[in-house]
Amino acid sequence: MKDTFVGDLLKPKALGNPTAMRQTFAEYRWEFVIAVMLVLAAVWATTLSPYYLSLDQLLFSSRNLVFTGIMTLGLAFIILTGEMDLSLPSILAVCTVSLAKASQANLPLPVALAGITVIALMMSAFNGFLVAKLRLPALPVTLGTMGAYRGVAFIIGSNVGYTGFNNTYKWLGTATVGTSPLPVMLLVLVGCVAIFWVLMHYTTFGRRCFAIGNNSAAVTYSGINVARTKIGTYMLGGLTAAMGAWIFIGQFGSSRGDNANGVLLGMITAVVLGGVDINGGRGKVLGVLLSMLFIWTLRNGMGLANIAGPIEQLIIGVLLVTGVLVSNLTTRGNWRPRTRKKVIAGPSAP
Amino acid sequence: MKRGLAILAVLVVVASVATAAPLRIFMNPKFTGLSYFQRCALGAGDAAKLLGVQFTYTGSEQPDVQLQVQALENIVSQKADAIICSAIDLNASAPPLRTARSKGIKVVTYDADSAVDSRDFFCNQMDYESAARAELDCALLDSPEGGEIAFIAATPTSPNHMAHFNIASQLVKTDPKYKSLKIVALQFDNDDEAQSVQVATNLMQAFPKLKVIISSATPTVPGACRAIEELGKQGQVFATGVALPSTIKQYLKDGSQKAFFIWDPYWLGYMSMYVAKDAVDGTLKAVPGSKVDCGKAGQFVVGKDGEIVYGKALFFTPENIDQYNF
Amino acid sequence: MIANTNSALARRISTTLSRNTLRLRVFSVLLSLAAMLAVFALTTTNFLTLQNLKVIAFNASLLTMVACGESIVVITRNLDVSVGSIIGFSGFITAMFAAAHPHAGPLIIVVAVGIGFVLGLVNGTIVAYGRVPSIVATLGTLSIFRGFTYIVGKGVELPSSYLPRWMTNGAEATVLGVPFVVLVALLVVLAMAFISRRFPIMRRVYAVGSNPGAAVFYGLRANRVVLFAYAACGALVGFAAFFYISRVGTISVILGHDWELMALASVVLGGVATTGGSGSIIGVLFGALMLSTIDNGLVLAHAQEYWRMFIQGFAIVGAIALDAGIERRIMAIFRNQRV
Repeated sequence: MKDTFVGDLLKPKALGNPTAMRQTFAEYRWEFVIAVMLVLAAVWATTLSPYYLSLDQLLFSSRNLVFTGIMTLGLAFIILTGEMDLSLPSILAVCTVSLAKASQANLPLPVALAGITVIALMMSAFNGFLVAKLRLPALPVTLGTMGAYRGVAFIIGSNVGYTGFNNTYKWLGTATVGTSPLPVMLLVLVGCVAIFWVLMHYTTFGRRCFAIGNNSAAVTYSGINVARTKIGTYMLGGLTAAMGAWIFIGQFGSSRGDNANGVLLGMITAVVLGGVDINGGRGKVLGVLLSMLFIWTLRNGMGLANIAGPIEQLIIGVLLVTGVLVSNLTTRGNWRPRTRKKVIAGPSAP
Repeated sequence: MKRGLAILAVLVVVASVATAAPLRIFMNPKFTGLSYFQRCALGAGDAAKLLGVQFTYTGSEQPDVQLQVQALENIVSQKADAIICSAIDLNASAPPLRTARSKGIKVVTYDADSAVDSRDFFCNQMDYESAARAELDCALLDSPEGGEIAFIAATPTSPNHMAHFNIASQLVKTDPKYKSLKIVALQFDNDDEAQSVQVATNLMQAFPKLKVIISSATPTVPGACRAIEELGKQGQVFATGVALPSTIKQYLKDGSQKAFFIWDPYWLGYMSMYVAKDAVDGTLKAVPGSKVDCGKAGQFVVGKDGEIVYGKALFFTPENIDQYNF
Repeated sequence: MIANTNSALARRISTTLSRNTLRLRVFSVLLSLAAMLAVFALTTTNFLTLQNLKVIAFNASLLTMVACGESIVVITRNLDVSVGSIIGFSGFITAMFAAAHPHAGPLIIVVAVGIGFVLGLVNGTIVAYGRVPSIVATLGTLSIFRGFTYIVGKGVELPSSYLPRWMTNGAEATVLGVPFVVLVALLVVLAMAFISRRFPIMRRVYAVGSNPGAAVFYGLRANRVVLFAYAACGALVGFAAFFYISRVGTISVILGHDWELMALASVVLGGVATTGGSGSIIGVLFGALMLSTIDNGLVLAHAQEYWRMFIQGFAIVGAIALDAGIERRIMAIFRNQRV
């Protein structure tokens, strides 16, 4: 991993030094492409609908970006280590219906939030345990827990749809900064992006995740507890789901067992298009942020042009597949094993 | 000179009003794919053409509350003049409608109501009690000696289905005409026909003495008929309720079913477009007793809480089913 | 000393175990199925009636066909979550075709299978030749196929009266009291078992799933095998779609969604390891039967339907854990044997 960051660009030395600048641009090639596509998408959205390009509209619709975006950041971390977690939206649903129960019992907001944090951490830690400690294949296992947790969400919340939240619960999802149309939750998203940026690129935890994604055997032999780090990423994902749940009930004012049922495709597309290698070991938060904005822009534009849902999904699906295809084609030089079966035979190899 | 200018000014204002951009009215159903809603849209579209309104039919293709909320928010961002909406959930679909009203957009619900403070008018196809009575009457037609009956609704918060069920439960206890009927179950199928086949099968298995399955949801009734056919229980168990004639014609013809009812969704949509336009123009106020003229659909009177009842039910039996082709 | 005298016995046990792992796994599935039947028979009424067993079999039959297709893909160590969308697209187009050509007869089945086959080819190409990980590829094609269904169908739904009468009647036909669809499902399972025994293609599928690297060195065209797996899955799913639309009534754009989890659950419950390379078709049949039994039993026990989702999910997790555990045990025995 080359050690160049955007911050290096700002150093006076780099600005004058063409080699350093070329190096940085080469490192950020994928993010640059996504940024260009984001601009193109914005232009396209403007042509699709005359209502798109207005600050009010953009801020209003940015609310759709937030709860999915926060979970996407958590998912990016998990994918970085070479694993996967398909159950994050289901964990969000369990949290929203738990908040409904808490609201019914008139619990004060901090207690309710503490409660769903614990629930989310437990569920995601269970996922982490299955994947990291028992070394089960992440994909089908989290597909299973996705269904199981969805079932839990329905068992707790059924399909009744609770809408009687009191206003303190709904605050985060509805508040705006003063009298401006800027939603507070957008600032929360910005904060999360900043936190995850630092976490991934400037902390040892982030470094370890990159290392595990690249070669987890080597990391184990160098003495780092891989299982603990992986469970840590899963629990981080659970935290993002809990946060997303709080924002969700404010934004929609209701909770039901099927909340966040269709967001998984968008999340995985955002992560993959953001330059995070699906097998782990590569990626940047900047890329994930840009691709989140890209997909949001497309969805916003298409929604304002009254384009049907399945067509939107089709376009996102095409983006997902071509994104990975293109990424595969452009990294021909670095051959990486595509399927990595967990080595079950050895007692020490992870 | 001054008078000339004044007349000119008046003419300019009149001309600008006359050539003003047409009203933009959006229709948002529970989900776009259902034939019932598409027929409503047909009616609304024809009415829109007559009234010179620009009409857009938009929404999600699945009956998902989140998707409906997002679709409604998109309509609000497009600065519609009015929204005609069939709400999936009485309260959960309400917030964007309230936002719409706060921005001066008129909200008219049809088929399924949302919270009273989130809409200006509600075009109800049949008032809830008449609909519940119609369902129980059909059940008696199917099974004159009464017996166990079960209801299938979309979700526990579907406004009209649950209203029908609650009133029916009351009637069964209080009205001597329906004394022989006993409600044993209420199940949900999320307006999904494939699921309704499953739910109906489950009901017949869990309650072997079941006589009639009733539903207010148009995807459900044909599914229940199918389930009866599959289990070979024609003549022992009946399905009835609200259904489009084309979907249950075959069951009336082959004798396995006896009675259904519905209102023509075409006129419901037609009427709601007139109501929406009058609401935007300001000529219709939500005062009980106000009259509204809906052209070919008829004339109606506003009731309590802005509810306007269409009320013209059609009953289908094997004798008259051929007259209807929708 | 003790190790020496016991090593001969240990060797014999380990050889028998390794030879019979497959049978062991299937046997355990059968045991769980029997246990479940017993539990439900005791706790609910009307469970063991012929009528009820027929319903279980009927519901399991479509699931079996789809799960058989999915299992081929899983054996190659891939996943296919787009089966629901393949059912939707294939079913919708077939319904439109059947409505337009009611006298085409068996050609309608060919159309259904053909469309499924083509969609499977698309999946397989993206996964094998595009080197896109299967979850990403099939998650993408899930949306793409659903989008195509919407475009072609223009968002309208087709009432079942559009379908020729012989299709809708055939879905309920019985032969000697056994529903026709059940017989078809059994036929599919038997055909697959026959093909695995007589033709080397299934052996190659197992080889590629068991150790893709070694398979290539052995001379197998792994890409082609994976392509075949996805295409076969698509074809089987298309075949199932034909019966599904005959049964379901109104065909809408959202036809078939939510089948992914059920198919995977049947496959995993039936002993097909998601790490690839092992599993049997009979196991898949029992897995589908188990799921159908759970569903039916829960209904008769008047339990909430949401428990079904919960149980399905946990069943997948449990089955995967069990499989991994068994595999590790066997590997440990092998290692000890060599020592």
